[in-house]
Amino acid sequence: MSAETGVIHDIGYRRYTGRRLGRAQIVRALYWHSLRSAFGLGRGAKAKIVPVIVFVIMCLPAIASAVAVANGNPRLVPYDTYVFQLRVVLMIIFVAAQAPELVSRDLRSHVLPLYFCRPLRRMDYPLAKLAAFITACLAIIEIPLVLLYLGTIAQSHSPHAIWTQTRAFIPGLLVGLMWAVLLAAIGLAMASLSGRRAYATGGIAIYFFLTWILAGILIAVTQRNVVRSATINPPPGARPPGVPATGPIKVHMMTQVPTTASHLSGLVSPFTTLDGVRLWLGGTSKGALPGVGGYGALYGAMFLVLLAASIGGLFARYRKAGAL
Amino acid sequence: MSAPLTAPAGAPAAEPDSGAPVIQTSALSKRYPGPVTALDALTVTVAPGITGLVGANGAGKSTLIKILLGLLEPTGGEARVFGRDCQRDGEQIRGLTGYMPEHDCLPPDVTATEFVTHLGRMSGLPPTAAKERAAESLRHVGLYEERYRQIGTYSTGMKQRVKLAQALVGDPRLLLLDEPTVGLDPAGRNSMLELIARIGAEFGISIVVASHLLGEIERICDHLVAIEAGRLLRADTITSMTQVSQVLLVDVDEGSDELLAELGRRGLEPRRHERSLLVRLDGDATYDIVRDAIADLALPLNRLEQRRRRVEELFQDDDADALVTAGTGGGPSGGGGPSGGPGGTPEAPHVR
Amino acid sequence: MSTIELRNVSRWYGNVVAVNDITMTIGPGVTGLLGPNGAGKSTVLHLIAGFLAPSRGELTVDGAASWRNPGLYRTVGLVPERDSVYAFLTGEEFVVATARLHELADPAAAARRAIAIVDMAEAQDRKISTYSKGMRQRIKVAAALVHDPQVLLLDEPFNGMDPRQRLHMMDLLTKLGAEGRTILLSSHILEEVERLADTIQVIVSGRLAASGDFRAIRRLMTSRPHVFLVRTSDDRLLGSALIGRPAVAGVEVAHGGLQVRASDYGTFSRELAVLARDHGIRLREVLPEDESLESVFAYLLES
Repeated sequence: MSAETGVIHDIGYRRYTGRRLGRAQIVRALYWHSLRSAFGLGRGAKAKIVPVIVFVIMCLPAIASAVAVANGNPRLVPYDTYVFQLRVVLMIIFVAAQAPELVSRDLRSHVLPLYFCRPLRRMDYPLAKLAAFITACLAIIEIPLVLLYLGTIAQSHSPHAIWTQTRAFIPGLLVGLMWAVLLAAIGLAMASLSGRRAYATGGIAIYFFLTWILAGILIAVTQRNVVRSATINPPPGARPPGVPATGPIKVHMMTQVPTTASHLSGLVSPFTTLDGVRLWLGGTSKGALPGVGGYGALYGAMFLVLLAASIGGLFARYRKAGAL
Repeated sequence: MSAPLTAPAGAPAAEPDSGAPVIQTSALSKRYPGPVTALDALTVTVAPGITGLVGANGAGKSTLIKILLGLLEPTGGEARVFGRDCQRDGEQIRGLTGYMPEHDCLPPDVTATEFVTHLGRMSGLPPTAAKERAAESLRHVGLYEERYRQIGTYSTGMKQRVKLAQALVGDPRLLLLDEPTVGLDPAGRNSMLELIARIGAEFGISIVVASHLLGEIERICDHLVAIEAGRLLRADTITSMTQVSQVLLVDVDEGSDELLAELGRRGLEPRRHERSLLVRLDGDATYDIVRDAIADLALPLNRLEQRRRRVEELFQDDDADALVTAGTGGGPSGGGGPSGGPGGTPEAPHVR
Repeated sequence: MSTIELRNVSRWYGNVVAVNDITMTIGPGVTGLLGPNGAGKSTVLHLIAGFLAPSRGELTVDGAASWRNPGLYRTVGLVPERDSVYAFLTGEEFVVATARLHELADPAAAARRAIAIVDMAEAQDRKISTYSKGMRQRIKVAAALVHDPQVLLLDEPFNGMDPRQRLHMMDLLTKLGAEGRTILLSSHILEEVERLADTIQVIVSGRLAASGDFRAIRRLMTSRPHVFLVRTSDDRLLGSALIGRPAVAGVEVAHGGLQVRASDYGTFSRELAVLARDHGIRLREVLPEDESLESVFAYLLES
């Protein structure tokens, strides 16, 4: 018979002898963590409401178009402008609601020193956050475009038709990329100014809405009203009995004609700036701007200025914030 | 946990020696525009074990911590942690160090488990290891079911423990604890101090505790570094700073006047000090004289002990008792750099 | 000489009873107000300072109720726990402003005196936002002292102070107490309260658990044997002698000496030296292990 034995296991402190990941992987982990919080993953049901609703509504035109195409109609919306107004509103909501999730919360709880005392560099933090939020905005904008494309080519029967669609789709993707990058940068930069989510959300929403409305007003107001006239001659040939004879009719029409001012008005809002760049690069669909009238390069410059200012501001903010 | 590789990526090239100094600074200076001098040619060596960091002027303490973590450039001198230069190898040092800030730094709407796991990832642990070590760290600091609740629901004591757990999760070789007991009630302080002492003794991690409370430092630390106005005031072992003096303290609940007279009659030259009597210790015979005096008078004896120096005396401008100066033992020992402290003729300390 | 009197004072917030039927008197000298977090200490301080009205009972300072009594603030100075200073003012401006609020005859002189007392004269012209935590505390104390109050209420006053500042503040409070002022000090740092306070008031879950000198309180805990650590020339011999005495409940060889549990403290303390002498044992050390304020406090919480 064996002697009775018992063991007391040592569950004291254990050293960690496993793999340690380098800075790049730490930043990647922070990127994924931030991307998840942009969609409210891992934070409970309430945090997912806004991202999910925004995404679903953004997809609706694509789905409607797929259905229409399946019934033999042409594609309902263009790739490069999609449904412009809808995009504007939905992106304002998404950026204003979610940018604070990524940065304001950490500022409010003063957790940043716990990041900076770890083996990553100070600027890795805003870098990871920016990359994550750009990815999030990209998803919201591009996935519906992809759905639109797939829904259309599903009904295409020739390689030529598919190629036609693809040729229109790619620029649309590029426009979407510009949108994602600029809006993410502006949103994060503004959110990083406040630890209070309400202020951050309000600030971002107000900025985007006000400039958007202002651009719309300016464009409408600065266009010149011009009267165009035309003469309509009566059709030649026999007249049906009972119809009186008429002479030529003069028709006057009031139209709006863009001016320099109206060409430039789009610069006040990031959305119209984006549209201006689209037009400058050769976009043909009708967006928010009636035209850039030779000032396309200005729009390109404005886009870069806004982008640089936002990214610069974001990084500058984290140079000082969260000091140990 | 993934199988350990023989050459872990990003791990220190050489494991810190058990005897080698943990922190070393040499003429370390930091001046801010102001003109504010946070550190002024500070030269100090911190040995393994638990070291208390005491200082007048808060700027020096936080500046020192930032420099050690490679987050701030000194205006002069250099600093090393585990032999690595703080400016060049800051990232490596941060990988070897755990930091527990003094201020509130916890988000209210995540659970302790999620929070510590995430910070484990930020320390460079792979996903599974981060989860496992987070669980272990929380267990070591004494957080059990509470870890699944949101941090916003925690008491101050529990929040301090979470802060400590996140410092431990990356398996640091050095812990920097900034005022770990602030805001805790006496029971909470006790637990936290015991926890820190245990970590220092059993986990094999060197600890630097920054604290204003000298009682705490005397209780759990092996060494002390005292900084004043950015300069080193004293760097020493706690033992040598709390050495026994050649003064015997006697405390009786009643009849101290009679005892005073009686001891005087027996030739001991007793003096009063607050509630007690002090006599110079002249060999073992003194103990017997005191005992006999008390026994003969049938007085209630409450306390009899050799008076010890206290760390606090470092910050007192005058010595409390001339008797103490005359009979003290020990000056600075260990540590490096200039040390100021109460003077006294060094004598062989009375060993327990 | 001022006296603070509480008679059956209770204070509740809805269902939460923060202070439950407390009767106590606080006289001149330094009194320590102790208790675990959330026990109601801050509430008691705010009641005394007149910021809250008692839900029941009477609370008077020198016979006058503290609630709705602006005249109270001539006698009372309060140093609250929270940061309650205007960071954009200089230290001097802040104390002068407080002096003006008190309608003192010469605010500038009073401010200078108060600032000198707390040893902040060097930094008084700097903005408070540049002060360390300990300096902010000191300027708060100066503001509380500027009108020379008879009563001083302090909530965790040493928070953030470095050792030198603490010693200085402790000396200051001792001096003020010796002058006959009534000082009520709430703190978690028991080693310091032990040295400063002549009396303590211990609040546990809103109730007053104990009052008075903590050593006397310890003596009252007769069901708990006093624990002593004794080191002698022959521990075991003494141990065997002690265990024969009725005043001794237990003896243990531990911690490099003898741990003695004395059920009758008075008798034991008188017998120890006699016993040692009669057996020819040299007493080297006699240390009470559980008579500190920390031990007394811990025992009070247990019961």
